[in-house]
Amino acid sequence: MSLLEIKGLTIHYETRESVISAVNGLDLSIDESKTLGLVGETGAGKTTTALGVMRLVPDPPGKILGGEILFEGKDLLKATDNEIRKIRGNDISMIFQDPMTALNPIIRIGDQIAEVIQLHGNCSKTEAMVRSLKMLETVGIQPERSIEYPHQFSGGMKQRVVIAMALACSPKLLIADEPTTALDVTIQAQVLELMNELKQQNKTSMLLITHDLGIVAETCDEVAIMYAGEIVEYGSLAQIFRNALHPYTIGLFGSIPSLDKDVDRLNPIQGLMPDPADLPEGCKFHERCNFIDEKCETGELETVEVEPGHFVRCLRVAKGEI
Amino acid sequence: MTKYIIKRILWMIPVLLCVVTIVFTITYFTPGDPVLIILGAGNYTPEAYAKKAAELGLDRSYIGQLTTYIWNLVTKLDLGRSFLTNIPVSNELMVRIPVSFRLSLMGIAVMVSVGLPLGMISALKQYSILDTTLTSISLIIAAMPAFVMAILNLLIFGVILRVLPTTGLDSWRNYILPVVSAAGSGIGVYLRMTRTTMLEVIRQDYIRTARAKGQIERVVIQRHALRNCLIPLVTVIGAFVATVFSGSIIVETIFNITGMGTYLMGGLLGRDYPIINGTVFVICTLVCTVNLCVDIAYAFIDPRVKAQFTSPRKRAKIVKELIEVKGEAS
Amino acid sequence: MLLMLMTKQGQEKLARDMAEIAKKKSQWGDVWKRLFRNKRGVLGMGIVVLLLIFVLGANFFTNYDYAVQDVTNRYGMPGREHLMGTDNYGRDIFTRLLYGGRISLMVSMMSVIISGCIGIALGSIAGYFGGRIDLVITRLLDILMAIPALLMAIAISSALGSGPVNTALAISVSGIPHSMRIMRSTVLSIKSNDFVEAARATGSKHMRIIFRHILPNTVAPLIVNSTLQIGGNIMAISGLSFIGLGVQPPTPEWGSILAAGRIFIRDFWPIIVFPAMCIMLTVFGFNMFGDGLRDALDPRLKD
Repeated sequence: MSLLEIKGLTIHYETRESVISAVNGLDLSIDESKTLGLVGETGAGKTTTALGVMRLVPDPPGKILGGEILFEGKDLLKATDNEIRKIRGNDISMIFQDPMTALNPIIRIGDQIAEVIQLHGNCSKTEAMVRSLKMLETVGIQPERSIEYPHQFSGGMKQRVVIAMALACSPKLLIADEPTTALDVTIQAQVLELMNELKQQNKTSMLLITHDLGIVAETCDEVAIMYAGEIVEYGSLAQIFRNALHPYTIGLFGSIPSLDKDVDRLNPIQGLMPDPADLPEGCKFHERCNFIDEKCETGELETVEVEPGHFVRCLRVAKGEI
Repeated sequence: MTKYIIKRILWMIPVLLCVVTIVFTITYFTPGDPVLIILGAGNYTPEAYAKKAAELGLDRSYIGQLTTYIWNLVTKLDLGRSFLTNIPVSNELMVRIPVSFRLSLMGIAVMVSVGLPLGMISALKQYSILDTTLTSISLIIAAMPAFVMAILNLLIFGVILRVLPTTGLDSWRNYILPVVSAAGSGIGVYLRMTRTTMLEVIRQDYIRTARAKGQIERVVIQRHALRNCLIPLVTVIGAFVATVFSGSIIVETIFNITGMGTYLMGGLLGRDYPIINGTVFVICTLVCTVNLCVDIAYAFIDPRVKAQFTSPRKRAKIVKELIEVKGEAS
Repeated sequence: MLLMLMTKQGQEKLARDMAEIAKKKSQWGDVWKRLFRNKRGVLGMGIVVLLLIFVLGANFFTNYDYAVQDVTNRYGMPGREHLMGTDNYGRDIFTRLLYGGRISLMVSMMSVIISGCIGIALGSIAGYFGGRIDLVITRLLDILMAIPALLMAIAISSALGSGPVNTALAISVSGIPHSMRIMRSTVLSIKSNDFVEAARATGSKHMRIIFRHILPNTVAPLIVNSTLQIGGNIMAISGLSFIGLGVQPPTPEWGSILAAGRIFIRDFWPIIVFPAMCIMLTVFGFNMFGDGLRDALDPRLKD
């Protein structure tokens, strides 16, 4: 049984002027101590999905309209506020995109880490403090710096603090929302390595949200490609990287330079993502697709398993035309 | 920390000297001859005029008068004598400063203690009926200058309902109307500011982080949102100090309170420049002092500023304790 | 870096294009649309427009003269003859308020213009050149700000004497630091934009950069500030007139009408309530309109 299973998750942002369909019937699953990479462009609904799992979608305007999020067989969407509170930070924790704003500016970082330990660790304040100092050491920060405030740390250091906070209670699932996007390239590698190390030590499963296929190749076991609130292709790392089938996935690989192949120019995907407030009928990618067919504009789509564990959501692939 | 405070206090000296100079200059160049006012027009001999002018020091140059004025102020706290009554301005002010100061401070206290909690409730219950009502009321109050507020208070509570006294400051009930009027539009504006600040804070990423930790909603608000929201709100109090102090000046005249406001009005009516200069100077000093206190309070409630001023020795001590704690536990 | 590789014409064109883009960001059509979607902003604008119609067309809305006394008709209650009653000299209160509004609005706008012009000049110099000039200007205005606005206005207006022009001058002095600060920070934020860098890289003169590239982009914050300041100034003017400085009787002004009526508070309410309402409503209108404009011009700030 998988640790986390998302079925038909639908999340909309409803404002006075429009309804933004951020996530539309999304299916995903993560096995124990495995890492799933969720890849997609900005605005594809990756962060909303993550917030949905944490039940932290800001309401208003966000509304979780349907679906199931099964964590160890229990539906998180049906859990009471109290139950979900006990899961957050303890069983599932999250690393946010921007470490600059994720820490409370006026609380000492040691106390911020101790807070989560004290909430779930069933321990005294002193013990929580001691464990937070150990956590800091684990992520490579001198424990003496625990009395400092976030503004005294660099971006990479702050992200280490956030990681320490997320892993303090040894969660079963870690959701990392573009954990390295806001950092310098050299720091990115360090932070990534740290996360991988700690994850392996604790046998933590991870949902890694990113738009960087390089990071996915280094870190993930499975990959899900997200487009306009849907998973368009899903499979193991090898399946996606060696045998990408969906035109969008192919396009994504076409837009990164490769060292082994000699190409004159990159092939970026033409056009822009459709406005999530006004999604097209049929396949949501058809406006930018090179293999478009009439049916793509109207037809009902289904996710098809093309080989064991490799799913694609494309009409033409399903019919074996591509 | 001490260094910062001393620096701020020292900066007040040139500011206040400039204030004295500005106010003195304005009144010096005001048309109208004080000697004539004192002697009464057409009722004097040239000798008497010269004698009076020399007595008041008005026969000397602008620079001479200004330096004497500042010298007397700095060395003897002497603000000159009233032209009309010949009573030293400082003596008169000594009696009146506490009255006005108390009134204004109470005004600020009312403004904060009404505006802050209501603004927070309004933000936390955004879009509710309570929120809409509070915001609408605060917008209307914000459009009322102190004297309109005072007059309407007088009309409603003093004349129509007859529940509160309208003159003097004999009992605590006398304070209610003047204090509320002096706080005036400040209450409305401060409420709005609190609401906006709180709304901004609860949308911050670190609030989401706190929720992601599994923290109870009440604690998220108290521990994470409230303190972050209070820091900017304490600093803006400084901006209201001047408004409330000048509001109380007008309010005093409406409620017949013998404070600096009524004294200043008397001075304006009789073109009694020492009174105008002295009162304006004292009020500016008070406003600057209260502002200074607000700034220092800011340094105290913002741990970041405090940490910046923690001495290395104290810091080392905290670190040492931390390591000891760790040693004991493991 | 790229800038250095371009020809001079190319650089100039780039600078122009980027200035254009920056300007288009706040397209006025969009601003209107957003303003009309904001209920409070529309309410404020409605009040301001109505006020302007009533005050500017005062002659069409009343048959009375604001100064003509009618001893047979003193303390008249509001009715069909006199919409808001008559005062202690038998003058029509509604008429006096209409003409009084003219003075209030005129003086208020005049002082906004005076303090705005000086503030803009000082603020753009301080913000654009920075360094020592900035320090001196900011410090001087800090000192000016140490004197509460109302006290400053009281001192100056007692020195200058009463009358609309003098009152406008007195009030504008305390408005200078505020508009200077807004101008300075706007200029500072615009100055760091690429199109200004680009213009400077092409060797444009300071004055040209200020007038062509920076000032056009400060229009929005200045409009908002001025609108809000008109409201604040009306409070100050009526306050000054209320204590006997500023505009004095027989010229009608809301504050002085209120002051004159003060002694009748126990016996005759219309003479108190109506001028008070006028002041409140006007300030409320300008505040709402200004807030609405600000939200419309910068949607990010909206709550």
